[in-house]
Amino acid sequence: MADITPAVTAAPAPRRGRQLRRLSRRLPLTAKIGAAILLFWILTVLTVQFWPLADPLAMVGRRLQPPSAAHWLGTDALGRDVFSRTLHGSIWSIPIAIVVVACAVSIGSFLGAISGFFGGWWDTIIMRLVDVTVAFPPILLAMAVAAMLGPGLANASIAMVIVWWPIYARLMRAQVLEVKEREHVEAAVAGGAGGLRVLRVHVLPLCWTPTLINATMDFGQVVLLAASLSFIGLGATPPSPEWGSMISEGATRFYDWWIAFGPGMAILSVVLATSFLGDGLRDLFDRRSA
Amino acid sequence: MMQRKFKHGLTVIALAGTALFAPPAQAQGSDTLVIARSMDVNSLDPARAFCDTCQFYLTAVYETLVTLSADNETLVPNLAESWEVNADFTEFTFHLKDATFADGSPVEASDVVWSILRLKNLKGSPSFLMDGLVSAEATDAKTVVFKLDAPSSEFLNKISASYAGVVNAELAEANGATAGDDAAETDKAEPWFLANSAGSGPYKLASYAPDAELRMAGNTDYYGDAPKFSEIVVTQIQDAVSQAQALETGQADIAMQIDPDTARSIRSQDVVTEIVPSYNFVYIGFIPGAKGMADVITPEVRQALALAIDYDGMLDFTVGGNGKKQAAPIPNGFPGTAGLIPREQDVAKAKEMLEAAGATNLKLVAGYPNDNVYGVDFNIMMQKVQQDFAAVGVELELKPLTWAVWRDELGSGEWPITAIYYAPDYYGSAQYVQYFGMIEGFPWAGRAGLGHPELVVNPAEAGLYQQALASSGEDAEMLYTQLGEEMMKDAIILPLVSPNLVLAYRSDIEGVRYSACCNLPLAEISRK
Repeated sequence: MADITPAVTAAPAPRRGRQLRRLSRRLPLTAKIGAAILLFWILTVLTVQFWPLADPLAMVGRRLQPPSAAHWLGTDALGRDVFSRTLHGSIWSIPIAIVVVACAVSIGSFLGAISGFFGGWWDTIIMRLVDVTVAFPPILLAMAVAAMLGPGLANASIAMVIVWWPIYARLMRAQVLEVKEREHVEAAVAGGAGGLRVLRVHVLPLCWTPTLINATMDFGQVVLLAASLSFIGLGATPPSPEWGSMISEGATRFYDWWIAFGPGMAILSVVLATSFLGDGLRDLFDRRSA
Repeated sequence: MMQRKFKHGLTVIALAGTALFAPPAQAQGSDTLVIARSMDVNSLDPARAFCDTCQFYLTAVYETLVTLSADNETLVPNLAESWEVNADFTEFTFHLKDATFADGSPVEASDVVWSILRLKNLKGSPSFLMDGLVSAEATDAKTVVFKLDAPSSEFLNKISASYAGVVNAELAEANGATAGDDAAETDKAEPWFLANSAGSGPYKLASYAPDAELRMAGNTDYYGDAPKFSEIVVTQIQDAVSQAQALETGQADIAMQIDPDTARSIRSQDVVTEIVPSYNFVYIGFIPGAKGMADVITPEVRQALALAIDYDGMLDFTVGGNGKKQAAPIPNGFPGTAGLIPREQDVAKAKEMLEAAGATNLKLVAGYPNDNVYGVDFNIMMQKVQQDFAAVGVELELKPLTWAVWRDELGSGEWPITAIYYAPDYYGSAQYVQYFGMIEGFPWAGRAGLGHPELVVNPAEAGLYQQALASSGEDAEMLYTQLGEEMMKDAIILPLVSPNLVLAYRSDIEGVRYSACCNLPLAEISRK
């Protein structure tokens, strides 16, 4: 008897590993590519300081040189290496997207869950607030907030969280409304469990899938919106090599195409990667909407 | 063989294509001149307008008493056929020639008096031009006498500014314009001037749609040489690259804001580009009156920072070397600038001076409009300043702002450094002292001191300025040189670059030139 117990307790770990492997086998190729690209960017963010790259803020060559062996994506108007700036740009764009999505998901899901589960006044107040926020086009609202707070990435992030949280509030509310009608929830309520406990233990664990899928897809959109804000001068301040502000520099020098090419491709890759991965995850977890 | 046939086929198709599309895509008829530019119109009323677009619009539609000749230095008759000046430059008499307004009524001395008094009394942006004017009188139908409270050898030059254009008084008054002492409150004609004009020039206003287009029609009853186009359209095209494309495709005949870098990329044989020196310049300004900066931005620190800047590099980075360095805030070529020597970078001395002033680990903030003016991208320029300051151990934080926020924060002293630009309104150095001089009550002394004039006022300048206004010729030049030197000592205004100007136009257009008073004299332009 004694030798069986460890085997039983150890069982979940391999099983979870197998499950993951099985899941990853079922993940479409595009989603795997997306995941790989995202992984690359995250690794870049963590390690780019140690790479043998030119200083992204220092003048390293003549200005406006086309791509060459020394400068793979040429130099910009101040003679800085565009390739190095593009890779360093990820330090601004990617963490911001992570923070913005994380904040939007936490705020939105929290309010959405309360609104859906408790209903009544809570629901009315929170949902009207959501309606008001959603009534504005996101870019316009973000511009207004960023313009009011002044330029800077921190302010741009606040603006983006304000734009994004309502999406998650609605998503979570819809899920909670559906799940709370299920029998096991009724059973828990009948068993005398308190409201918050029912929400936390019996409802929320079943509501996360659409939020996670949506968050993955939104990640790329946030990178894009942050770049847009920087492009119009409301996001990153110079000299930080943020992708949007680099493209804005390139746009005024249309014929020196390489200045905007690097950051443009970087944004494209992140947005595509997250949308591939999001699609794949939806196929996997959320059969109904696929 | 097959391949050659295929090639022939391609050639035929290509030829057919050129035959179909060969005539240049001239959007407008040849009787229309199309100008591409980003318009900065604040008003089309001569006494209220103050912008680069206004300068050439007003010059085409209204006429001044005297104007600047093509050498950009000599004044030549315009509505006035002759004039006299008394010995101490306080009384100016003009004799008018026979001219008529677009509605056929004659240009009379009373119109001139009314227009100039309105310019003064409206207290609009260009009203400073008439500071010091005590009286304007019509002694007969063709003679006007102006009297000043103090000598001003530059009054003649000021009267050549496009804002001093003569307006048809009767017509304007019928539409709400007034010229009396209370004009600032009683004049209601600004909207009328956005849709109509009342000048004697070869063109008149046809229509204006903000941020879209400004249309002028030829004045068919013009008393002089007939206008060379029946219509001139200024079309709003924001950036240099789009303007260049409009020029290459024939959508526009003239593009006004092409920078030298973009000019290099123009390949079309049908486009002519000329690079000429301009009197425009971009500068950074120190604001010792900003919050908590009185003991930080001291004269020694300002001098040190001025030495930290790599002026040659700045010229290269901002305009690709297509410009000139400028010593004092008076543009190269204006009276008194010949003897001024531009600053040179001296990092070692700058560091030494900063250390002596006890300004180590200095952290400063620069707020500036996020714009691209005269081909200079302010973001690029300020990043260069940031790098140069970093080399002497000064950390500079950059705050690119929208125009509205910039104006707000400038007035409240949010930051001690800013960057901006200036273009002349007429040929003469007094306007620069009047704007940049550290003399109490003058615009930049107010901006830099922000209520604490003692921080910035240079007592030597007021006297020199008065002397300069009371003298002319070489004496005046010498005094302006001294004023320039004093302003360099102040180190409040550091001119960074005087960018060259690109004149870009279709090869069938002639007569395009740059004017110090009037920007682009439209009346001289014609199609070959």
